[in-house]
Amino acid sequence: MHDINQKILKMAKKMGFGDIVILSNENERKQVRFANGEITISKEWFERKTEIFVERDKKLAGTTITNYDTHHIENVLKNLYRLTENMEKREDYYGIAEGPFKYEEIEEVYDSKIIDADPVDFIESAINATGLERVAGVLYVDHPKIFLDTSNDVECYDEGTGIEISIRAFKDDLASGHATHSSRVLSKFKPEKAGEKAGMIAKMVESPTTGEAGKYDVIFDPLAMGNLLSMVGMFTSVMAVEAGFSFLLNKLGKKVADGSFTLRDIGNLPNGYGTRKFDDEGVPTRNTKIIENGILKTYLLNYSYSKKYNLENTANAGVAMPRPWNLYVDPGDYSEVEIFDVPRAIYVTNIWYTRFQNYVSGDFSTIPRDGIFLVENGEIKKAIKNIRISDNVLRMLMNVDAIGKHLEQIHWWEAEVPVHVPYIRIRDVGITKATK
Amino acid sequence: MEDLIEFAVDMALKKGAKYSEARYHKKAGIDFSLKNGELQGVEVINSEGIGIRVLADGALGFASTNILTKESIANAVEVAVKLAKNSSKLRKAPIEFSEETFHRVSYEVIPKKDFSGLNMEDKMDYLRRIEEDVLASGVNVPMRFIAYTDWVEERLFSNSEGAWILSKIPYVNIMYNLVVYENNQMEQAPFISTAFTGGLENIDMAKPWDRAVEDAKVLKNLITHGKSAPEGTVDVIISPEVAGIAVHESVGHPYESDRIYGREAAQAGESFVKPDMLGERIGSDAVTVIEDPTLPNSWGFYLYDDEGVKARPRYLIRDGIINEFLLNREYAYKLGTVSNAAARAVNYDREPIVRMANTYLAPGDHSFEELIEDIKIGVYIKSFNEWNIDDRRFQQRYIGREAYLIENGEIKNPVKRPILEITTRGLWSSVDAVGKDIEFYPGTCGKGEPMQGVPVWMGGAHARLRNIMLRR
Repeated sequence: MHDINQKILKMAKKMGFGDIVILSNENERKQVRFANGEITISKEWFERKTEIFVERDKKLAGTTITNYDTHHIENVLKNLYRLTENMEKREDYYGIAEGPFKYEEIEEVYDSKIIDADPVDFIESAINATGLERVAGVLYVDHPKIFLDTSNDVECYDEGTGIEISIRAFKDDLASGHATHSSRVLSKFKPEKAGEKAGMIAKMVESPTTGEAGKYDVIFDPLAMGNLLSMVGMFTSVMAVEAGFSFLLNKLGKKVADGSFTLRDIGNLPNGYGTRKFDDEGVPTRNTKIIENGILKTYLLNYSYSKKYNLENTANAGVAMPRPWNLYVDPGDYSEVEIFDVPRAIYVTNIWYTRFQNYVSGDFSTIPRDGIFLVENGEIKKAIKNIRISDNVLRMLMNVDAIGKHLEQIHWWEAEVPVHVPYIRIRDVGITKATK
Repeated sequence: MEDLIEFAVDMALKKGAKYSEARYHKKAGIDFSLKNGELQGVEVINSEGIGIRVLADGALGFASTNILTKESIANAVEVAVKLAKNSSKLRKAPIEFSEETFHRVSYEVIPKKDFSGLNMEDKMDYLRRIEEDVLASGVNVPMRFIAYTDWVEERLFSNSEGAWILSKIPYVNIMYNLVVYENNQMEQAPFISTAFTGGLENIDMAKPWDRAVEDAKVLKNLITHGKSAPEGTVDVIISPEVAGIAVHESVGHPYESDRIYGREAAQAGESFVKPDMLGERIGSDAVTVIEDPTLPNSWGFYLYDDEGVKARPRYLIRDGIINEFLLNREYAYKLGTVSNAAARAVNYDREPIVRMANTYLAPGDHSFEELIEDIKIGVYIKSFNEWNIDDRRFQQRYIGREAYLIENGEIKNPVKRPILEITTRGLWSSVDAVGKDIEFYPGTCGKGEPMQGVPVWMGGAHARLRNIMLRR
């Protein structure tokens, strides 16, 4: 695809564009969905596409093409040129990163054995591991290739693989457990572990009763916290901050979490499902401390925003919108037993439907699903149901009470950005329930 | 394109499929936004491809390609059939589709003010007007994000049972996020959309710039004059906007047959509704909820679904009784009936799944004044920000953005963030009267894996709920 990229790049330069980014993708993706213990559909995609970003005198335009006929490309570029003719300038645009760059190989991001793996075998072993009949989920096999060429002397290529499963097991309508597992290499893919955990949680749920509203210490399973942080991670993008969609507005250099809490974005994380060698401008991905010991250190930036804010580029382009690659919570000192060792707490295994009343203040609620348990003196006392976490993200981050030692990678339908996260206990979380 | 579609359908049968369908799906349009007055750049939306779904050996296979050559399509067909056959290993019973009557038709939504013929500057004027009117409103709105999107969607669907549907539908959407600061306090109106199928004449009539100014003023008034919701049990009036989200979340979703049968269990969840609950009471006599894809210019408009079945209004709740589920062919067969055309796919690379289109609380016979006249203490929730519902669709919550105290039949001061946190049965059983007039609000409904965000309208009439404890 570099040939095509270079052809488009040359044509765009000749037309008079300044900064140009040509990003081509070839993605092979397989999916098998299952429910009630049987496959509901199998899918396979092969997609080839090229994203084009062009700049002309601080006027920005972009599109995606799938037809590589020269005449078609020329028409697409002419259309972008025409669009930028009378467009207003974006005064806070400062260009794209200047190459060339050196890229280091990242471990555990490619395994050719994944490409030809038969998903059905993995699904069977995961379903069997739940020990239950009513099991639903999805398995993906990924093989993406990325080709990037820019007008600033960047020409780079990345290829990866991945395999992941999300599985939910039901003992009955009100007794379920959910677990996920993702890996970039086959040797570390253990679908039966996800099956075991989903089945174990479902079997722990016995005659759940409606929980009571109030303030509770809440122990978040890695799945539950991963879901929440995946959304929070999007709010670390400077674009979200500027557009009024982030509680981190005006918080640079300020305390936004307990001192024990450090949140990173690691673009070059071995075995990270979001790992890439370079961002969309070709800058080598890196390990960025977003929140360090409770202090907000940076937003996620691309080259232009790093110039605007006079901060170090975090290599998170999106040319239009910086975004996280892999979020990562630094491990704490607590074993699982120690995390649960409190007089009274609620253990939440999964959450979904997180919505904000106010993105800038961080007021929100989210709904626990699957097993929810009342914990007393370190022991699971009973299963509960029908509660809602109704609180404020900043307040919750400030109230982080204990962070586990062992991280799990969470990436599924509810967690778009992969998150590496342990068990986390938070003090005095608001819990509500229906009044009628 | 017709040749390629027919080729795909025929080839799948030759390769051993019992049923096959192919859908060419193209989207072309433009998207741009102003962030705090500054144009962020423009994106030209351009996507096209073919999705092929087959039933073979009792299992479903799906493959898609955006390389529109006979060779690539043949490969996709082979893959789809192979996937289905391979999946049959883990099927307890074969998947079957309901018998349907299919048509050969084409239809098109013809805009009066066609955005395709306009240049970008003309479209930009819509955003500039919102930006300028909000800045001139006398309200401090330091953060403004305003976006314009239009696109035309063309589909050609054919299946091995004789369906052939060609359609062309234009979409236009203007969305804004406003953050208001007054008296060192901040309130927000996020993701407020005005959206239609058809042309810009619909936007001209809806005047989103007026709505944006009104939203800004409402938030300022809320900050300066807002009080907490009253304590204890009160009566609540929910507006068409709040009724809309409530019918979408607690009626539309749980009546989706694929959820009822557990197909979405590991994603959006299941449903408190079971197949044998048809005919069961779920609300008061005053409650009728209709789902209708055929409403002209609606955001969820279509006349034939993505399985080629002709659309019609669906009465999900009639006079408080569960009346009908949303069905595709797979689940219509399970229920021994025919599809009611609820299968939608958002793009060529997505399978059609059971979806809503335009869901609304049917009108009753009360004027707004009649709804509030006998309320001693109550709250009128006119719009909302935060909302969510559990994955069985029984425990929901809506938090008011614009809301007012009702005292002795009159609208009084603004109420800050009244929280309606209630069960589905509690909500619909509490309705004792419904307003005469209906309104609709656009949204993007998320479901499926990979995610399929489809355009929907939500709305209906005002409703009066008796004896509700609001959270504060």
